[in-house]
Amino acid sequence: MSAPTIGFTDELLPNGLRVIIAEDHLAPVAAVCIWYDVGSKHEVDGKTGFAHLFEHVMFQGSRHVAKTEHMSLVQAAGGTMNGTTWLDRTNYFETMPSHQLELALWLEADRMATLLDALNQANLDNQREVVKNEKRSSYDNRPYGQWFHKLQAHVFPVPHPYNHPTIGSMEDLDAASIDDVATFFRTYYAPNNAVLAIAGDVDPAQARAWVERYFGSIPANPAIPALGDLSLPPTLGGEVREVVEDRVPLARHYFGFRAPRFGDPRSDAMEVAAQILAGGKGSRLYRRLVREDRVAQDVAFFSLGLVGGASIVAGQATVRPGVALDVVEKAFEDELDQLGREPVTDDELARARALIETYELEALQRVDERADRLAMYATLLDDPDMINRQLDRYLAVTAADIQGVAAEFLGPDNRVVLTYVPAVENESEGTAA
Amino acid sequence: MTLEEILARRPSPGLPRTYQFPEFERAILPSGMQVLTVHLPGRPLVSANLIVRRGASDEPAARGGVTVLAARALTEGTERYPGLELIEASERLGATLHAEASWDAFSASVDVAAPRLRAALELLAELVLHPTFPEEDVARLRDERVNDLLQARAEPRRRVEQAFAASIYTPDSPYARPAAGDEDTVPRLDRDQVASIHRALLDPARTALVVGGDLTGLDLPGMAAEVFGALSSALGGQPDGATLPAQLARSSIDRTIVRVYDRPGSVQSEVRIGHIGLRRSVPDFHAVQVMAAILGGLFNSRLQMNLREEKGYTYGVGAGFEMRRGAGPFAVRTAVHTAVTVPAIAESLAELRKIRDTRITDTELAAARDFLVGVFPLRFETPGAVVAALGGLFVHSLPDDELGRYRRLVEAVTAADVQTAARDHIDPERVAIVVVGDADAIGHDLEAAAFGELEIVREDVPVETGDLADPAGGAAE
Repeated sequence: MSAPTIGFTDELLPNGLRVIIAEDHLAPVAAVCIWYDVGSKHEVDGKTGFAHLFEHVMFQGSRHVAKTEHMSLVQAAGGTMNGTTWLDRTNYFETMPSHQLELALWLEADRMATLLDALNQANLDNQREVVKNEKRSSYDNRPYGQWFHKLQAHVFPVPHPYNHPTIGSMEDLDAASIDDVATFFRTYYAPNNAVLAIAGDVDPAQARAWVERYFGSIPANPAIPALGDLSLPPTLGGEVREVVEDRVPLARHYFGFRAPRFGDPRSDAMEVAAQILAGGKGSRLYRRLVREDRVAQDVAFFSLGLVGGASIVAGQATVRPGVALDVVEKAFEDELDQLGREPVTDDELARARALIETYELEALQRVDERADRLAMYATLLDDPDMINRQLDRYLAVTAADIQGVAAEFLGPDNRVVLTYVPAVENESEGTAA
Repeated sequence: MTLEEILARRPSPGLPRTYQFPEFERAILPSGMQVLTVHLPGRPLVSANLIVRRGASDEPAARGGVTVLAARALTEGTERYPGLELIEASERLGATLHAEASWDAFSASVDVAAPRLRAALELLAELVLHPTFPEEDVARLRDERVNDLLQARAEPRRRVEQAFAASIYTPDSPYARPAAGDEDTVPRLDRDQVASIHRALLDPARTALVVGGDLTGLDLPGMAAEVFGALSSALGGQPDGATLPAQLARSSIDRTIVRVYDRPGSVQSEVRIGHIGLRRSVPDFHAVQVMAAILGGLFNSRLQMNLREEKGYTYGVGAGFEMRRGAGPFAVRTAVHTAVTVPAIAESLAELRKIRDTRITDTELAAARDFLVGVFPLRFETPGAVVAALGGLFVHSLPDDELGRYRRLVEAVTAADVQTAARDHIDPERVAIVVVGDADAIGHDLEAAAFGELEIVREDVPVETGDLADPAGGAAE
C-alpha cells in the first residue's frame, strides 16, 4: 500500500501569517491548528514555565469572548479543542463538524488580535494555581516524575534553553506578572510568528476568504527577537550519571543521548533504530531484557524531535525485583553497542519499515493529525510538504545508516544514565516537594 | 470594515452535512460465530477485531486476573509459530497483533492494509485458536503483573482507583478488585488455569469478528468462514457459567465513609467520591449521558467551572459512570493541592446535591446536548473507532440501531429527564470518599469536616531494597 499524497496550498498573508489548507471530504470534519513559533526555549532565567502559563491564559477570554467561553462555544458546536506547549513551540487546535469551521477561525483570530483586552489579575492568578496543580499532578506527585527534567538538564547544559522544564518552577510561576503576560503576547503572538493549518472537509476558497477576513488585518510584529545561537557539540563528550532516591517500589534506569536535530536525515535513521530497539515485542531490547534474560519489567526507547541545535533520544528499563541494577544497565547498553557494531538484519529492517508505514498511515487518517503535522513541518522545518516525504525518508533508511547513528550517538561518550532507586523509608519523610 | 467590526460579529454555522453512523452487515457462520462488516470507502487501513462476550467478570473469584493473563499470553507463540515467530510474521505484514481482556469481553485485534487482510486474519486465528501458552512465559507475564501491582501501589492515581473500587463493592463482588487481578489472586495463577480459561473462551456462539475499512472486492463472511472454520463449540466453550450482573456489584456502603490512604509528604490529594453506578443496559442511558456531561464531562462542566476555573484547586476534575454488564462505578475524580482537600470535597458534594435538587438551565441542557450530538460524527472518523463501537454493540447485546438512533435520543432528553436521572442514580448522602494523600496534613481537617466516618489507612508501600551493585543478585531464575 502506498501512502496517499496529501494535497495542500501554502501561502503567506501580507501580515506574515502562513496559511496551509488541505482539502479532504471523507468525513464531515474540519481541523484547525495554529502553531506559534514560541516555546519554553524562548524563556529566560527567572521566567521559566511562562510559555505554558501563557497557553492557559489564551483560554481566559479575549475582547469578544468571555473567560472559558472558547471551550463552551467549541463544544456546543460539537467540536473538541485544546492547546499544548513544548520546548520548541505552542499550538492550539479545534476539530469541528465541518459546517462550524468559521467559528474556530474567528475564535483563534479574536484571541490573536485582542487577548489583552480580557487579561486581568484574577484570571492570571486562577490559571497560575491551575498550572501549579498541573505541575503537582503531572510531575511532583508522581513516582519517577522528574525523569525528563533531569535528562534534559544533563543533555542540554546551561546556558542552553532546553535545559529547563517547560512546566517551569513554582517560584517563577509565582513571580509571573500581568506585565510579563502582556509583553509575551505582544512579542510572540503575532501573525508573522504563526502557521495556521486547516485540514479536512472544507471549501478551500471559502476557508481562505474567512482566514483573510478574520486574520488579514491583525498587525505583524516587525521586531520578534531572534533566538541566540543554539548550536551544541554533536555529543556530550562523556558519560553523566545520577542516582535519584524516590518513592518507587522498583528501580528504573533512564538513558538519555544528545541526537541530531529533527529534520536531519540522521534523525530518520534514529527513528528506525528506535523501532528496532524497542518497538513492540519483536524488538531487540524487549526480546533480550524482558523476554529472554527476564531482568526488566519493561523497556522503551524513543526520540523527541527537537530542532534547537540538537535533539534528544531517551530510553528506559524498569528493573525486576531481585535483579542487580548493573545487570540491567549492562544488558541495555550492550544492545545499543551491538547496534553500532553490526548492521541490523534484512528481516529486522523490513519489519521495522512495514510497521512504521502502518503507523504513519494510521496517524494520517485523521484530519486533526494532518493539520497538526502540516503546521509542525512548516514551523519547525519550513517545509510542510514533509508530510508527504517523511514516510519515504524512513523507508529509505539503510542498515548502514542505523549502524552509523548508533555508533555515533548511542555510546558511552554521549550517555546520561539516570537511575531511580527506592528511597529508604525514614529518609523520604518530607522530601517530596 | 475595521478589524474591530469584523471580530465583533460572531459567525453562525453553515448547513451541517447529513451524517449517519455507517451501515453494517451481519453474517452468521454455520458455527454460530457472527461476522459484522462495515465498508468505509477511502479507508485503506482495515481494522479487524475478534470479540468474545466473556471477560474478567466471568472468571472464578479465586482466579482473578486469569482472563487478562490469558490474553497477554496469547502472543507468546502458537503451534505453527513458536515463540516470537507469530509476532515477527505479523510485523512483516506491518500489523501489530493485540489481545486484551476487560470486565465484559476478550478481544484480539489487528490493523492492516486491505491487501494484507487475509494474511493478517490467518495470524489472528492462529493466535486465538492455537496458542501453546509456554509455562515459563506465562510465569514471566504473571510475575510482571505482580510487579505492576507494586508499581500501582506507589502511583497515587492507580492506588486511589484500586482503593475506591474496594471501598464501594463488597469483597465478594468481582468489581472490588482490578480486572487484571490483585495481590491475592495473581501470584497463584499458572499455565493450566490460563489454558483452561482460554478453552472456555472458544465459544462461537459468543464470538463476533468485526471488520471495518475499505473492503472493496473482499468477501469477509467467506474469508472468515475459511479462516475461523476451526472455531467450533467442540474446542471448548462454556455455554454458560457467566456471573449474573447482580452478583458483580453489591454495595458495601450504606452511609458516607471517608478513607484516607496515607502517603506522607504528598503535595496533592488524589480524590475519588462516589458509589456503585449503572449497567450499560440502563433504560435512561441517554439522559444519564447528558447529566454526566453537565456535571463532570464537558470541559466547562459544573465541577470544572467550580473547582478549576473559579477556585484553582485542581488541574482537572471529572465525573461519570463507567457502565459495564453489571453496575460499574460512579465517581468524581480529581487531584487537588493538599491544602484544599477538604474544601474540594465539600464543593464536589455540593455539586452532586445541586444537580439533584435544582433543574438544570436551558443553556446547560443545550450545551451538553449539542456537544454530544455534534461531536458524534467526529468520534467515528476512523475504521478503528467504528469497529470498536460495533464491538460494544455485540458485547452488550444492544439493538442494531443503537448507534443510528443515538443522536435522536440525546436530542429528546429534557431538563426534567436530567434531574430525574440525577435523583435516581446519584446519592450524595451515601458515598465513599477515598483519598490518597498526606494523612497528617489533612486528617484533622477531614475529621472536623465530618463528611462521614473517617478511617486512616497507614500501610507500608513495599519497596525493593537491593544493593546498588550486587553481582550476586544476578538474573532471575
